[in-house]
Amino acid sequence: MTRRFAVLAALAVVCAGVGLVAGRGMSPVVAWEVLGGGGDPTERHIFFQLRLPRLLVALGAGACLAVAGLVLQSALRNPLAGPEVTGVTPGAVLGAVTATALGLAGWESPGTVVLAAVAGGCAGATLLWLLAGRGRGDPARTAVHGVLVSAVLGGGTAMVLLVEPGELGSVVQWLVGTTEGRVWQHWQLLWPWALAWGAAAWLLAGPLTLLRCGDDTALAAGLAAHRARALALLCAVALTAGAVAAVGALGFVGLLVPHLAVAVFGADLRVSLPGAALTGAVVVAGADAAAQLASRLLAEGLDAGRLTLPVGALTACLGAALLLVVVRRTPGHTF
Amino acid sequence: MSEPVGIHVEGVHFGYPGRPVLRGVDLTVRPGELAALIGLNGCGKSTLLRLAAGLLRPDEGRVLLGGDDLARLSRRAAARRVALLHQSSPAVPGMTVRHLVRQGRYAARGPLGMLREDGDGDPVVARALRDVGVERWAGREVDALSGGERQRVRLAMALAQDTRVLLLDEPTTYLDLHHQLDVLRTVVRLRAERGLSVVMVVHDLAHAARFAERVVALRAGRVVADGTPKEVVTPGLLADVLRVAGRVGEDPEGGWPVCYPDHPLPPLEYENHIH
Repeated sequence: MTRRFAVLAALAVVCAGVGLVAGRGMSPVVAWEVLGGGGDPTERHIFFQLRLPRLLVALGAGACLAVAGLVLQSALRNPLAGPEVTGVTPGAVLGAVTATALGLAGWESPGTVVLAAVAGGCAGATLLWLLAGRGRGDPARTAVHGVLVSAVLGGGTAMVLLVEPGELGSVVQWLVGTTEGRVWQHWQLLWPWALAWGAAAWLLAGPLTLLRCGDDTALAAGLAAHRARALALLCAVALTAGAVAAVGALGFVGLLVPHLAVAVFGADLRVSLPGAALTGAVVVAGADAAAQLASRLLAEGLDAGRLTLPVGALTACLGAALLLVVVRRTPGHTF
Repeated sequence: MSEPVGIHVEGVHFGYPGRPVLRGVDLTVRPGELAALIGLNGCGKSTLLRLAAGLLRPDEGRVLLGGDDLARLSRRAAARRVALLHQSSPAVPGMTVRHLVRQGRYAARGPLGMLREDGDGDPVVARALRDVGVERWAGREVDALSGGERQRVRLAMALAQDTRVLLLDEPTTYLDLHHQLDVLRTVVRLRAERGLSVVMVVHDLAHAARFAERVVALRAGRVVADGTPKEVVTPGLLADVLRVAGRVGEDPEGGWPVCYPDHPLPPLEYENHIH
């Protein structure tokens, strides 16, 4: 188990390294010089004020989404639960977009965006909670209602964008999920939130493991299943809202990284929750590095200087392929 | 070893809106007794077990475990006193036998206690694995086991709760005869060794008559017969409670009653003829 963590940590370091040197505007050689203490002030600014926080935000957001997904899937006993389909991500998006459209927040004031996204994420989850009503103990019904809530919230976001298309350009990037332009302010908002709720989720590892065994078994073993599930969902909402506020609606990370984490670290959540955090960080940082490399190559190939590939587009494509694997590997299983 | 604990079910009514399930059930299981619960599907057997485990609250009446009113106990406190083995077990992907059995310690250890790993494992888990004879494949995945093996693992999980009272809901239903006897013998042995009080729902009257000292028959939410196998397992009970015609004999060696259910053949015109 320690070896698996070590391998993933090494992967994280590699992804981080590639991410730091891959971006445009500065050649890898210069980036290396800056790291060694050289470079002119502009290059130092790019490296330490733009690339480093961007990388940290990518790592943190990936960890948040993966842990949120694993918590959701365990609490709802549903392999296809994820922040994307429980109203949390779309709610956070709607909150942030609305705040921007109303002029309350801009992309220059990330603090307000975070608050709006958290409020929206909580509102989305609350909507699901109310809509599911008495059936909220039933994973299948909760999942169906979650899809419904997500669709409605997505529609709301589209309406806001139609009414107030001014900020469309930057918002679209954010709708897909991007780490572009994330600075220290974002990181300082993200890490305490992620750490606190991540720790809370880990403390729930015992109850969550029992919830994975099914409510009947969990109740017979002495777990107040409904209360434990409510607490777990609160953690998942908070983690997702934090991540969405930081990088936008990164698709499929919360849905698929938990499957990877359980495959690698097993069903013991005391191990696989930290494992999921590490895996999520690697996946998002890796996807971000790949997206930057691709943008660089595309920009050179197409001679289009402003072209950037958002990391969310990459995770969504990667995720769709992985989802097919998951669905095919678990035929007839409810879990 | 602590004193065996009995179960008292007093005037329990329970139902869902428009559908009463139990209509005034009184049942006393003496400390260390093994009682079998029989009756048709839907007569309230499983509901009675769930009430006795504290998973459901009675609409009227109460359930006492060794003098404690279950309704006053938290879920965890109740699970330290009584373990319930459900009749069906959902898949637990990725979980090993040891990991699943360890989940039975939740009531004793609590949410934070479950996070701690003891050096050489929890001694109660090790004992539960030994009790049902699965310690050799403690590292295997539960979902990869056969039905009979899985039921033994589930039993071990219930035993890991280390309770004085054990409730079994159709513990043998999906098993072949060999594994049925396997599970029942384990229960009988542990009861003798530890003084467990056991209530089990069984459909096979042969098992009820062979292994239980006490047979309780339920019909439409009421106890209609309660006594030793000899007193209860009679042609009258077969007709009245289980709605089958049949004869009852006696085992030539053990002396317990043996049923010969003998459904009368339906009249010829209802049969599927090939003309």
